[in-house]
Amino acid sequence: MTSREIDMVVKGIKAIKDAPAALRLAMEICAKCGTCAKECPVYYGKSRKDLNPAERSDLIRKIYDRYYTPGGKLKSLFTGSNGTVSEEELDRWAKAFYECTACRRCARFCPMGLDNSVITRKGRALLDAVGKTPSFLLKVIDASLQTGNTDGAPPVALEEAAKFLEEEILEEDGVKVKIPVDKHPADVFFVPPSGDVLVNPEAIMGTAKVFHVLGVDWTMSSKAFDGANYGLFTGNDQAMKEDNKLYIEEAREIGCKTLMMGECGHAHRIMKFMMEKAHWWGDLSFEINNILQFTARAIQEGKLEFDKSKNPDPVTYHDPCNFGRSCGIIEEPRVIMRACCADYREMTPSGAENWCCGGGGGLSAMDSIKEFRMTVSGKKKVEQVRATGAKYVASPCSNCKRQFTQLMQHHELDVGTGGLHDLVSRAIVYQ
Amino acid sequence: MTGFDRFVIAYLPYITLLIFLGAMIYRLRAWSRLSQPSMTLFPQPRGGSKKGIVAEIFLFPKLFLSDKYLWSLAWIFHLSLALIVLGHLRVIFDFAFLWRALGMTPADVDSMSATLGGVAGIVIFVAVVAILSRRVFLQRVREISTAGDWMALLLLAAILATGNAMRFGEHFDLNQTRVWFMGLITFSEVAAPANTAFIWHAFFGQLLIIYIPFSKILHFGGIFFSQTALHRS
Repeated sequence: MTSREIDMVVKGIKAIKDAPAALRLAMEICAKCGTCAKECPVYYGKSRKDLNPAERSDLIRKIYDRYYTPGGKLKSLFTGSNGTVSEEELDRWAKAFYECTACRRCARFCPMGLDNSVITRKGRALLDAVGKTPSFLLKVIDASLQTGNTDGAPPVALEEAAKFLEEEILEEDGVKVKIPVDKHPADVFFVPPSGDVLVNPEAIMGTAKVFHVLGVDWTMSSKAFDGANYGLFTGNDQAMKEDNKLYIEEAREIGCKTLMMGECGHAHRIMKFMMEKAHWWGDLSFEINNILQFTARAIQEGKLEFDKSKNPDPVTYHDPCNFGRSCGIIEEPRVIMRACCADYREMTPSGAENWCCGGGGGLSAMDSIKEFRMTVSGKKKVEQVRATGAKYVASPCSNCKRQFTQLMQHHELDVGTGGLHDLVSRAIVYQ
Repeated sequence: MTGFDRFVIAYLPYITLLIFLGAMIYRLRAWSRLSQPSMTLFPQPRGGSKKGIVAEIFLFPKLFLSDKYLWSLAWIFHLSLALIVLGHLRVIFDFAFLWRALGMTPADVDSMSATLGGVAGIVIFVAVVAILSRRVFLQRVREISTAGDWMALLLLAAILATGNAMRFGEHFDLNQTRVWFMGLITFSEVAAPANTAFIWHAFFGQLLIIYIPFSKILHFGGIFFSQTALHRS
């Protein structure tokens, strides 16, 4: 590691002085009351000092203090190396900042209105700048920037999946339901996570059936069928924007009226609360909606009917952090679940207070920390699921789904997992 | 009067005032100039953006949800503190006209002040000891505590202990501090009240006032910015 790289990190931390208020205030007014630790899924899993959220944030805070607070300056006089940046220190960061799921549960309870996920993302951004991002996440970003999807799948993958799913529906329901790909123009441009195309396709079947019943003119794009955007997780704003750009260009190309985000919380958050709000690509000629809001609305308007006996087992809903706390989509999934399941059970706590699955912030994709996810960050979630007695956990997030599948296996629980439109797919009634 | 007494009574107040005002203006201005991209966190506070943020700041509903014990301590502490700060106005000025308007005799005012101030002084001291104990005995709090966290609490404890000593020790006539204060604002030499507890109380008190704008004790100012960043829609 070069001294230039170390300087870069120091510069990055000094720049926090002019950073957005959420970040600078997090440096300066934390009262160290311990509330975040009480509410953190990781610290719940293992109450060890280095896993305490305030301690993790102190990794950056103590360097910031060294430059900007009298206490920090005084301390550096006595302790010398305290709060200096070194390769060993950054290696410690590389571990610590990828042991935070960035779920923002701490922010839900912090009396000072601070959000440790903001510091985690800053830490990851600094790590990214000096090449210390976990290599797997870098590969995902590369794949996404090259192919438009995080799995690096070619356009034909979507075309074949669409054909296959149409046949499936015809076989199961005896109904011809179209799954349009690259239809121009179309009213609705649907963007799922690629995991729903390649790994858990039942949610796409459910979505197609909803559109079919409601007579929606929709399409997916073979160039852009994955809203997932790992720049959010690695702290790389440039990569995040670049990854996002394709989708807006494609939406304009299609001439859609609605960009409909699928069951992927962080994708929706980036579109709705970052890109649209901050006007990354100027004014948009279309609205941004989410399939959960869309389907829930149709249910509330009495436009969809379900046969609940098709989903007889007890089911529960897991609020992905990005849908719940970060997007406020909390009621809608429950409207859907109650409409199409015979035995819906609520987790305790739920909604904005729900615990993270343990795989948030990109952690779910990392097999290098699987043990940590299974025994530490996911510990509380397993207890929550167990307490409901549910046989199926629905979660509209590919990362949560992956984490759940592994968690249930690891803890030998006979509980299935998948999306919401999987349940819709089984119970929807064609009118 | 020793040199230390003279310093605390005659010179330190001016230094304290200058540093406090200068640093406060500097820091609050810096905060108010920061960009505030929305970090939207749900649920958004009830009662609309502005009202909700004010409620967050004064009622700490999030803390209530998480930790009722700490919430109670925080409330008791801040409420007593507000009462004590208000009561200290009488240290520098006797609001005779106000008491007359309220139909209170000087004896009434003294007994009200003794009761309210006395209770608040004891209650807040107990609260600070409880908050300190939390820091000592709760692992999750102890392991993240830094020198600044301990210092703020110990300084407060010292101020409260000396303040209580003045109230419950030998009688202290507030007229002495009013004369002292008049001397300060007219830049004329005055004698210090002959009371050891008072000297230490004034010393620690001024240390705290100087420390506030440099430390996280200014969370009472910063919280306006952080809550807005989180909840402005």
